[in-house]
Amino acid sequence: MIQLSDIVVKFDDFEALHNINVHVKEGEFFTFLGPSGCGKTTTLRTITGFIEPVSGTVKMQGRDITHVPIEKRNIGIVFQSYALFPTMTVRDNIAFGLKLKKLSKGEIEEKVNTIARKVDLSDEQLAKAVSQLSGGQQQRVAIARALVMEPAIICMDEPLSNLDAKLRVQLRNELKNMQREFGITTIYVTHDQEEALTLSDRIAVFNKGYIEQIGTPNEVYNHSATEFVANFIGDINPLNARAAEGMGLAADQHHFIRLERVHVNWPHEDGSYRTQGIIASREYYGLYIKYYIDAAGQTIKVIEKNDGINIYEPGDSVSVAIHPRDVMSY
Amino acid sequence: MQQTLQKKSGPDLSLIWKIFVGVLFVYLFLGFMVLPCLDTLKSVFGAVPGDPLAVIRFFFAGSMPSFVINSLKLAVCLVVTVNVVGISIVLLTEYFDIKGAKILRLGYMTTLIYSGVALVTGYQFLYDGNGMMTQWLIKLFPMMNKQWFSGFRAVLFTMTFACTSNHALFLRNAIRGIDYNTVEAARNLGAKPFKVLLKVVMPTLLPTLFSLTVMTFITGLCAMSAPTLLGYNSINPEIVRLAGSSVADEAFPQARAALLSLILALFTIVLLTTLNHYERKGHYLSVSKTKAKLVKQKIQNPVWNVIAHIYAYVLFVIYMTPVVMIVLFAFQNWPAVRAKSLNVSSWTLINFFGTQDYSYTTSRGKQRVREGVISGVFSNSDTVGGIRLSFVLSALAAALACVIVVVAVNYIFKHRNKKRAAIVEACLLFPWLLPTILICYSFRTFFNGEVWYVLGQNLYYRENVRFLIVMAYTVVKLPFALRMVKAAFYAIDDELEDAARNMGASSLVTFLRVKLPIVLPSVLAVFALNFNALFTEYDMSATFQSSYGKSYAMVIQSMTAEEGRDGYNMNGSGRRCASTVFIMIISGLILYLVYGVGARDLGERLERRKKRREFWAKLTGKGTVKSGQ
Repeated sequence: MIQLSDIVVKFDDFEALHNINVHVKEGEFFTFLGPSGCGKTTTLRTITGFIEPVSGTVKMQGRDITHVPIEKRNIGIVFQSYALFPTMTVRDNIAFGLKLKKLSKGEIEEKVNTIARKVDLSDEQLAKAVSQLSGGQQQRVAIARALVMEPAIICMDEPLSNLDAKLRVQLRNELKNMQREFGITTIYVTHDQEEALTLSDRIAVFNKGYIEQIGTPNEVYNHSATEFVANFIGDINPLNARAAEGMGLAADQHHFIRLERVHVNWPHEDGSYRTQGIIASREYYGLYIKYYIDAAGQTIKVIEKNDGINIYEPGDSVSVAIHPRDVMSY
Repeated sequence: MQQTLQKKSGPDLSLIWKIFVGVLFVYLFLGFMVLPCLDTLKSVFGAVPGDPLAVIRFFFAGSMPSFVINSLKLAVCLVVTVNVVGISIVLLTEYFDIKGAKILRLGYMTTLIYSGVALVTGYQFLYDGNGMMTQWLIKLFPMMNKQWFSGFRAVLFTMTFACTSNHALFLRNAIRGIDYNTVEAARNLGAKPFKVLLKVVMPTLLPTLFSLTVMTFITGLCAMSAPTLLGYNSINPEIVRLAGSSVADEAFPQARAALLSLILALFTIVLLTTLNHYERKGHYLSVSKTKAKLVKQKIQNPVWNVIAHIYAYVLFVIYMTPVVMIVLFAFQNWPAVRAKSLNVSSWTLINFFGTQDYSYTTSRGKQRVREGVISGVFSNSDTVGGIRLSFVLSALAAALACVIVVVAVNYIFKHRNKKRAAIVEACLLFPWLLPTILICYSFRTFFNGEVWYVLGQNLYYRENVRFLIVMAYTVVKLPFALRMVKAAFYAIDDELEDAARNMGASSLVTFLRVKLPIVLPSVLAVFALNFNALFTEYDMSATFQSSYGKSYAMVIQSMTAEEGRDGYNMNGSGRRCASTVFIMIISGLILYLVYGVGARDLGERLERRKKRREFWAKLTGKGTVKSGQ
């Protein structure tokens, strides 16, 4: 569907993207994930045509669109701020692109009404100003405005980043449902790993203008390809030399273990590494409890399901178990 | 080097257009900003061939420095009095709990609609030797000098109250921006109310106060209408006098006028550079994440509380009396106005509409009738001519300034962080450094002759002077327009432009349909405020001193000349009061449109429209209106 080959983007002397290669499949929800300044938005803007690469090609459905003007790429965009025109009504916002295409009034009316129904916008809401809508409704308008142009793909640049936590979760679900319903190929940019993991079919993890790993959420989380990915996705414990030696791990590598893979007071399992520790502190999250345990000469973070029975107090002595198969080494 | 695809898709025509606009901009900048000022500079040092410093020597050898000293004296005194009154009115209405603060605020803000020549002539009418206010004051203080309202005292008094408009607007905003939690914290730590005001509140107001002080100083230095009308020998009236003088009467009049305006420019540049430097430091900004709204402070000490209330209402009376009196006198017939006494039986609309004849008996006992010598604002040909001319010139200049600035700011934002954008911005801010009188004086002298730069035309000849006035108005208003419109452009999210382009909009369509509608309320506000200021401006048209450019303010200024002499111009003072009322209505309307109607966003407008329809549906019994329609 979308194929980026050896894309290099420079801003004056600064190389923002180094040989980016990505292949997004038809109907896929594909996410560019990474910290600020890693190149994810630059890659998206290269796809949408706002930035022209110094070298490399952008292909869509097999056609080279590297030098095709923005408006002729047939790519819908949902912006971080939604970029809804504040001086127009919701209806005018959605119809803006159609009017520029010089469609007849009847056609515009029909297309706007159809897309509005699909994204659950009422006639009353269509007559309102953008400022009169809630954050969620504004997101639906932004999506409707992008979809009404019948784009081949839709690109979303951190569309949930300006919202509060509760609304973000709610809209995240709506977004996923909408994408499933329309079946449209979606490229999504975010720095929020939880958002990427819950929404995506596949994720590309960016770092300093390179792609560190492309994979399913499970692959990038459980089988992180690089130390950066392991550290960036989810919380993780670096293991010191003593623990690594205890497990017979290579001394010339860095070793990491996810919090939920460390077990407290578990029955013995063959091959697992066990050590005694003291609960230094704990954080209560309701569904689970996070412990900071002083063990094997370091502080190890552990997440335990809150069963209401096995709750440890700071100062309690506990056994800590780690299985070497759960350790990620780089 | 990153490139955008937009550049590639642009047609060649746009390049030709860009070159045309660029050349025009350079032509206008050089012709109407740089060359006239350089000409003025040249005239100072080139008045005596071979002796470039002759004018300067002559200047300092004579009485000329006294004009500079007088202006400086006025500026320094104004800084003190305007700040005392300005800070007082803001604290009394916004910080302290004073009863009737809303009414007081309205009174203090009357200078927003009552200013310039109208205000000066109004004060003169009420406070001069036989003015109503002076008569009342003499009854209260019999030892008082009846002619107190003249020269320096009159100018200082009038300008003190006329120049607090900026305090009423900007200091009020600053005090409203104070985080009340900081006041509470200081109180909690044991600070007494006065200490809180001095140590917590005032420091946060200092940047605004500093800006206001500099602006007041410049206003005092460049004062024109008050010194001219009330008789005070300061720089600007002297420049105008010298500009109209000839070498047959005195030595180097034009060169001395030029030197005075350059001295003024020097002061202005130094002051504005200082201000700019200070503003860039950006001190005392609130760092609070969530600001608590300021709660008015009750003055606990009952004695101070009473004194504060008395002070507040005395100021209110000073502000309101001229306004009320002028309005009342505008509806009095000429004998009542001439006698400066209000009388119910003297009510009339003649100062506004229509004409009346005046019949009188000559010294030889003959009955004579002068036809139509009592006339209203809208029936007097001179006044209507002044209104029409000021309306057209102000509207043209305000519109031109807006168009230039909108196009320029769009360019500046498109090429931000590039040198050319900074250069365009600097060119438009250039007039800010120059006193208005220098610009007008330079225009007047540079274009007075067949000037090659404008194809051999004399722009200071007959009707051409109107074009010159429009250009001067436009140039003077560019910096203000730039600052306001630029602030509006900052509010445009970059993504809006990207979104429009993504949907196929060209640069022009994006500008016209997306960006312009967003900044339009601000642009219209700038237009309205500039129009408002220019419609009643006096200083510039007075500098041009041309009968072809007699603005409304100049007409007002000369309205009472030879009032009643030989039975002519019988109701000059009444018509002047009526003119002031007319200006107040226009200014009030403009301020309402700008800050009332213009400040509403689309949502608010739709909401109001819906309510209006519901109201009408209810009234006519035609059922309910579908919400949102």
